[in-house]
Amino acid sequence: MSYSRFKPYLMILPVVLVMAIFIIGLINGVLQSFGIIPAAGLTKLTLSYYQEVLNNGDLTASLWLSVYISLATSVIAVVIGVLVSVAATTSGLVKSKFFQILKIPVIVPHTVSALLMLNLFSQSGIVARMAYRMHLIRGQEGFISIMFDKNSIGIILAYLWKEIPFVIMIVVTIMANINSSFGEAAVNLGASKGKVFKHITLPLCLPSITTSFIIIFAYSFGAYEIPYLLGATDPKALPVQAYVEFVYPDIAHRPFAMVLNSLMIIFTVAIAYIYYKILSKNLVKSGMSND
Amino acid sequence: MTRKNNNFIMRAVVYVGYFMALFPLLVLIIWSFTGIWPWPQLLPETFSLRALDELFGGYSGAIKALISSGLISAVVALLSIVVSLPAARAIVLCDFLGRDLLKFIVLMPVIVPATAFAMGIDVLFMKIGLSDTVLGVILVHIILCLPYTVRIMTEVTEATGDKLEVQARVLGASPLKVFTNITLPIALPGIISSVCMAFIVSFSQYFITLLIGGGTVVTYAMFMFPYIQSGDRTIASAYSVLFLLSTLIVFVFLDRTVKKYYDIGDVFYFN
Repeated sequence: MSYSRFKPYLMILPVVLVMAIFIIGLINGVLQSFGIIPAAGLTKLTLSYYQEVLNNGDLTASLWLSVYISLATSVIAVVIGVLVSVAATTSGLVKSKFFQILKIPVIVPHTVSALLMLNLFSQSGIVARMAYRMHLIRGQEGFISIMFDKNSIGIILAYLWKEIPFVIMIVVTIMANINSSFGEAAVNLGASKGKVFKHITLPLCLPSITTSFIIIFAYSFGAYEIPYLLGATDPKALPVQAYVEFVYPDIAHRPFAMVLNSLMIIFTVAIAYIYYKILSKNLVKSGMSND
Repeated sequence: MTRKNNNFIMRAVVYVGYFMALFPLLVLIIWSFTGIWPWPQLLPETFSLRALDELFGGYSGAIKALISSGLISAVVALLSIVVSLPAARAIVLCDFLGRDLLKFIVLMPVIVPATAFAMGIDVLFMKIGLSDTVLGVILVHIILCLPYTVRIMTEVTEATGDKLEVQARVLGASPLKVFTNITLPIALPGIISSVCMAFIVSFSQYFITLLIGGGTVVTYAMFMFPYIQSGDRTIASAYSVLFLLSTLIVFVFLDRTVKKYYDIGDVFYFN
């Protein structure tokens, strides 16, 4: 259809207006981290807040805690998610109707996932009760507290319960498609199943594995709910700490919140760009498999 | 022999996966009907319908929150479509300055955490009077939905193209007629999927609603939060079950639509 030169700009106008709010939000955050808050009479650009944050043991501890949580979550989720996908593809269970139930955790909100883990793993939780029944522990106190602990095991478990199925959902469809089309051809030509998997299926699944890794890494790095509900009081995860600084009654604390946010923004925008590149490279391929 | 063994292990792995996914949900359902469940019992000692009373008794405000939350999410879903449909068509069918940049920016809210950009938006909203308002909450929810809705609508537009519309125009149909009689019906399954997806995304938001709404805009996800935090397991579990049922209904509808009309199994591309 022939569109006038201006028509496309009219068509994208609503999206541009909404996303302008998003961009202004990002810019606002970054500006305030450099100490520019006109409302509080601060207009001079300064790096002092960054220096203070980076010299402050508590805040850097938050940063490292979040890096640790998101790395652990995304690596474990991807490894287990891919393993289950392989198992589902090779056993043929991926085709069964029941397999769809693995979609449920994906739509469960993170707050509920936190509650599920409390029901299971708190010191009065069902797992502790089972351990007691099997005489593995003597009483409630004998069960190692993994909720609210310094190693953030509760947080990581709550993420994993949601993110492993997420990886499976992204990877398994593509894996099953490839296995049934290319895989059969290769087997007919004399390749062993193991070889087919290693040289054909896995490389072709790599983009979807990478994108799921990126999404989970970024999400568990910046999400508030689970670390707030299941985290130790000290140190707090980066997003939780940032919110504490943001709602602090003294507005002079706000730049600290914005420094923490800006670190998240810079880091995740870079990740988003990589993600975008992978997605656009892959459009051709996914178009092929959709036919 | 080894192949048989191998297959057995593979099946076992998947079954363990089923168990891991379902067992916590089963415990959740049991908890929501629990009266007393003392340590170290594996099952509750007494059951009770106290949570049902809390939910539907009318005094807690749970159902009111559920309805107002549903309304907010419905508005978000519809507006997301109104915004995404023309944009997706422009992205697929037209060439314009900054197209790639726009695609990138629309994708960003999936990766950049809401915590990080919401505070900057709140600062902006305080200035223009949108902070602590329903409209403000709806706007930020739309931002979070756009990556999904634009993506679904882009895929749909790519699949259908605009050949039929061109023919209709050539045959003399008015632009409005083309839109109502061709564009909309063709895009309808995509629109339904987008609406469901946006609804689920909006319905599940906690933090950003708290931040932008400042506590004056109460959604069900927010209403439920203190119960999860405070430790009355029975009530918290019951609230969660009702939440899950609400999203599950929308989700099943979404899943059906997608499967029926398109060969895309990956609306989840983003979390």
